[in-house]
Amino acid sequence: MTRAIRTLAVIFWTCLAATLAAGPKDASPGRPHDSADQHVTFNRDIAPILFHSCTVCHRPGEAAPFPLLTYKDAKSHARQIAAVTQKRFMPPWLPEPGEQKFAEELRLTAEQIAVIQKWVEQGTEEGDPADLPAAPKFVLGWQLGQPDEIIKADKPFVLPASGSDMYWNFIFRTPVDRTRWLRAIEIRPGDKRVVHHANILVDRAQSARRQEELAGAGFAGMEIKIASEAFDPDSHFFFWKPGTVPQPEPDGMSLRLDKETDLVLNIHLQPSGKQEVIQPSLGLYFTDKPATLHPMLLQLEGDRQLDIPPGEKNFLVSDEFTLPLDVDLLAIYPHAHYLGKEMQAFATLPDGSVKMLIHILRWDLNWQAVYRYASPVSLPRGTSISMRYTYDNSDENPANPNDPPKRVVAGNRSSDEMAHLWLQVLPQVLPDSTIDPRSVLQESMARRIIEKNPADFEAQYNLGAVLQDRGVMEEALRHFAMAVRIRPEDAIANNALGAALLAAGRIDEAIPRFSAALQAQPDNFDAHYNLANALATQGHFPEAIDHYRAATRLHPDDANAEANLGAALAEAGNLQEAKLHLERALRINPNQELARDNLAEVNRTLNNQHP
Amino acid sequence: MWRAGHNLPAVLSGATTLAALSLATFSVVSLAQNSALALDGTPADPFQKSSGKVVVLVFVRTDCPISNRYAPAIQRVSAKYDAQASFWLVYPDKSETAEKIRQHEREYKYELPALRDPQRALVKLAQVRVTPEVAVFGPNRHLMYHGRIDDLYQDFGHARHAPTTHELEDAIQAAVAGHAPPASSPGVGCFISDLE
Repeated sequence: MTRAIRTLAVIFWTCLAATLAAGPKDASPGRPHDSADQHVTFNRDIAPILFHSCTVCHRPGEAAPFPLLTYKDAKSHARQIAAVTQKRFMPPWLPEPGEQKFAEELRLTAEQIAVIQKWVEQGTEEGDPADLPAAPKFVLGWQLGQPDEIIKADKPFVLPASGSDMYWNFIFRTPVDRTRWLRAIEIRPGDKRVVHHANILVDRAQSARRQEELAGAGFAGMEIKIASEAFDPDSHFFFWKPGTVPQPEPDGMSLRLDKETDLVLNIHLQPSGKQEVIQPSLGLYFTDKPATLHPMLLQLEGDRQLDIPPGEKNFLVSDEFTLPLDVDLLAIYPHAHYLGKEMQAFATLPDGSVKMLIHILRWDLNWQAVYRYASPVSLPRGTSISMRYTYDNSDENPANPNDPPKRVVAGNRSSDEMAHLWLQVLPQVLPDSTIDPRSVLQESMARRIIEKNPADFEAQYNLGAVLQDRGVMEEALRHFAMAVRIRPEDAIANNALGAALLAAGRIDEAIPRFSAALQAQPDNFDAHYNLANALATQGHFPEAIDHYRAATRLHPDDANAEANLGAALAEAGNLQEAKLHLERALRINPNQELARDNLAEVNRTLNNQHP
Repeated sequence: MWRAGHNLPAVLSGATTLAALSLATFSVVSLAQNSALALDGTPADPFQKSSGKVVVLVFVRTDCPISNRYAPAIQRVSAKYDAQASFWLVYPDKSETAEKIRQHEREYKYELPALRDPQRALVKLAQVRVTPEVAVFGPNRHLMYHGRIDDLYQDFGHARHAPTTHELEDAIQAAVAGHAPPASSPGVGCFISDLE
């Protein structure tokens, strides 16, 4: 009669940003023409480069400050274009070219950059109109067509005219009255010229709301913490950066959206010189097809290594993780704050070969993104994934938030640092199809985190939950006990430990854990329900009834709680009321067998009493 | 025509500074041909209209994100030195109409007089290359400083959280006190030479 406890996935992310920069897919236009004598012209040589790599943002209504759609546009920014492309500041694209290709790469080739320089040196000639390619065509308005639902932030955020970058979180109350499946979310971040990037976190437990001072107003913060009580690791990148064209999730990878799920939009804003009012909206696109493929996010991190002395130019942080099964790597998201410098992630395969997964020579938080691979990267079981990041905490790093530099450690504020690497992987189905490959990965990740830091509460809890799911009860119990030792007043951990003890028949030890859970959180449904079960098992029916009643008040639609309340009332001799609750349980769930059997028994007894 | 501005350290004594504050003897006849324009289209000479104060020309462009981001700082510094310095916004882009400039001033809450400089007369005088660069003139139209406002931007896309140097303010103070101005440092921004 013990209720299965839920696993707890605490997600500690920021800015999950997928790069979906748009643009036609033909590769590298604007090749230099053959004749060295010929002048470079806009129509023949420059326009193709701009149309392919720049106009997605450099057009009216988009993020860039000026359009680059015509000769006149380009000419009035010609030296600017030459300078920013030569420095590779534009188009913004951080990864070095490598063996693994990313989707929608925005990187210009050295030849393209040289052609632009030459065009400016030679006097920005327009050239023959016949050479001008057709202007790119863009969809106006919602990029995926009219959304099924549009939700707008309740209250706008007013960005001051000046100051340093800001991070704001909007909470969207979702409009679904039952579980739906999403094939896409289109993010309209508000004024595109001040929003550097935006990403959505799925908040199934509505935990972010606790951070709002005023309901609907949102809250400040660069890194936000979302608690999830379901074993349902969120694995989707919903992201906006300048030039993003939303793309539907791949077939089979729709996102479950339950009733009472919040979507939290974390946005990075840069003051523009004038006050800006930001009120984002989201377009939701539903599908009837539930998810059949379940990608997961793996995290490597080195936060505890971060203790960077002032003046240090090359502080190294590294981490490794060995894959317990075969995966397809779909996307990668490196993340640090303003001191991050060089970033590398690579995979060492079991045969010893090395695949560079991403290499960023000069990290720039302003252009962070999730990079999707052009095609999935297969990584077999036993592959070791490594991250190596360096940090520059000297005054030579202009982005250094401290002047003069000071000691920096890990933290959530933008002046703190982070060393995170997220990988979106699709685990391959295991030979034993009854085992969920995600739980195998989850277990490996939790064990790896505990190896690095035995005091990691979430990892201890998650490992306990995965082990319990697999029926490895003794070890599960040990990890729940560790979680409680780390956070003695945590309601969820106490409840989980209590439930594990109850399942092991250690009822006397279980009861104080449920009581501790309820002391921490008096409205914890699971703890009331489990405590009631423990008390009922010991024959303490009046006390059990009190807790079942509390449970049914919290979840009036829970058939099991109603059925057990009915059973306890029957045990206590209150058959009339027992009948009421058993009937209610059956109305909620006509297949609740316990309620059906007990109701039959209660009815027989009542009939015998009043023939 | 305009004489070339120079950027020698000012070694003016207090006495010459005071004497030179009177600009009445300087002719502005040469403005007619090659002049900056007030927003009403008439030729305008910021020096003549600045009644002996230090003259600060701030070069901006309505579509330059870096000069726009500086708007609150420019407004703040101009208010701080209101008594000593006369600030002018200079728009060198020929295609920016008076109406567009007025709208830009409203949007960015500028409370400074604006000039159009379609012939680049002031650009040449001030020896500026990008928006937003500034030029600070002491007595006798003496170009004391030209270049960046501060070091907020190190390069395109590489902005500090806050500037660590304040060349514009230092230059105004130097011009007022007759001290040596800071060395000229180039600004990061949008190239004026890109404009027609």
